[in-house]
Amino acid sequence: MVFTEGVVDAAGFSIRYWEAGQGRPMLMLDQTSWQDTMLHDALAEKYQVFSLELPGMGESAVNTTSQSVGDLATVAAAAATALTSEKYTIIGTSFGANVALWHAMQSSDQVEALILVSPTAILSQEPPANATSQEVHAMMFAHAENAQKFNSLSAQVFAKEKELIQRLGHDAGVEAKLADIHCPTLAIFGKNDRLVSPEAARVYREKIPNCNIAIVYDAGHCIVGDRPEAFVNSVVDYSEHWETFIVGHQSGLIYP
Amino acid sequence: MKASLFAGMGYSERHKFPLTWPVPPGYADPEVSVRSYQEGMDECALAEDVGFDWISLSEHHYSGRIPTGTPAVMAAAVAERCKRITIAVLGHLLPLNNPIRVAEELALLDNLTNGRLVAGFLRGTPNEDQVYSVNPSEGRGRLLESMDLILKALTEPQPFSWEGRYYQYRTVAVWPRPVQQPFPPVIVGTRSDDTIRYAAENRLGLGVSFLSVEQTAVITDKYHKWCEEAGWTPGPDNIVYRGSIYVAETDELANEWFEGLLKSKPGPNIPLRRTVAEAIQSARTGGPFDLRGLVAGSPEGDVVGNALGINFIGGPDTVAKQIKEFHDRCGIGVIDMPFQQNKVDHKAVMAELELFGREVIPQLREF
Repeated sequence: MVFTEGVVDAAGFSIRYWEAGQGRPMLMLDQTSWQDTMLHDALAEKYQVFSLELPGMGESAVNTTSQSVGDLATVAAAAATALTSEKYTIIGTSFGANVALWHAMQSSDQVEALILVSPTAILSQEPPANATSQEVHAMMFAHAENAQKFNSLSAQVFAKEKELIQRLGHDAGVEAKLADIHCPTLAIFGKNDRLVSPEAARVYREKIPNCNIAIVYDAGHCIVGDRPEAFVNSVVDYSEHWETFIVGHQSGLIYP
Repeated sequence: MKASLFAGMGYSERHKFPLTWPVPPGYADPEVSVRSYQEGMDECALAEDVGFDWISLSEHHYSGRIPTGTPAVMAAAVAERCKRITIAVLGHLLPLNNPIRVAEELALLDNLTNGRLVAGFLRGTPNEDQVYSVNPSEGRGRLLESMDLILKALTEPQPFSWEGRYYQYRTVAVWPRPVQQPFPPVIVGTRSDDTIRYAAENRLGLGVSFLSVEQTAVITDKYHKWCEEAGWTPGPDNIVYRGSIYVAETDELANEWFEGLLKSKPGPNIPLRRTVAEAIQSARTGGPFDLRGLVAGSPEGDVVGNALGINFIGGPDTVAKQIKEFHDRCGIGVIDMPFQQNKVDHKAVMAELELFGREVIPQLREF
């Protein structure tokens, strides 16, 4: 699937985005370097997908304007409004999931479903302060051979994102606000995630009224890197069926 | 050191069976079968009375030699008869089972026994891959994933979905929660490095079966090393050795029984047709297999496998010394023993249990 790059002006920022597909809109807030995965292609087969580069992430300029994750969510919402007039599903990965959480709280009339991939808003386990980009990259995978299939961030981008995440990322109040999210929500975690505590998943399930949690076996923080098929299947299934994705639809019939 | 009765619940007329596996169900006379289970239960009750610490049940299929294909059912029955002793399911054969069902059975058993349960995770012998048509090449992967899933299912307080390689469940919410928190003691029965390491890294126990003391030490040494690397030291109850036993009043009487056994030419341990056995082994190891390269088995049963050796044999003092060797060399804390051997009927098993309780268990308590 070919994604087309564009730029949208929103809340004082010029934001790069990538677009592909037709159908209900999907807004993806990805961690940098995860904007071209099997998930993007699979979703674009069925939906109109917009993948945003959040201000301060990736190749964008240093972001000293945003003062909270909520501020970034406001920017993302403004960008979404500029890109589509329809309600949309929002999919956030890692720190992007934290922004997606706030987005869903602030723009509940626009977000019809929320998918949080390895969210770090609650019980995140910070890598060592002096860890390099390569070391953090390695920590994101359950298997070293999977880490080798992807590039780590350049030192410059890593430092820029780290500064932004450390400045905005610690939001003690978010847990108390989870009950305000009323759209169907999926929180999906790798079983072997070393950057988020395994206890985090149950907090989302407890606090968000309509929340499912999914555990991907043998996957680390970068689920799409370790178990792409299982990850894509569960996210696409949830996107299609929301909370009814728990209803079995695979046939067990061997011979008709 | 603790003593465990491996309750085989064997069909009392098992000496009449052919040497093939599976044993045709037609050999089972319901009247004999009912009596056999009652005798097995009597053996469990006596074991509890004479001082055994554990009774273990295990999953084996399609034969009357250990006819406990659903060990949780058997464990529930034994737990009602024996009210104090630890009930060890050693274990479920995980590649054959629905892991969520296993978690539910373990949680229920832990409640029914008020926390007397020990659980066991096993891959199973090669023949048993065939019971529920599991591809032998997938057994190891299924075992590893099952262990993760069962532990998650027993400990996760919120409903969750599981996206595995071999298992996908969109709603898992096991009831009841185990009495023993976070989960009952678990013994991983294995000889393989990856599962030894799994046990060590997840602070689970280790079970080794039927090997020599030297072979067992190789495994337990690795386990101890990897436990240390994982930051913990296993206790005595974490390391279980299962070994066959024949104890008599004297060494001479025990040897006399063994001589008789040798003369009777006992059958092989896992009597499979050679073609089937080699196909399973090839699948398990990923090796090539060409049926046309083999001579087909005979109608009488072209079988493979070694005669089951006896790990502990002799009078009480001799047996105690043999067991102590496993304790001293391998750190074994629980010795799990099947007393139902060839040419040993129910009455003889009861006598052995009495003798073991009276003469051997007091010696085990000393180390």
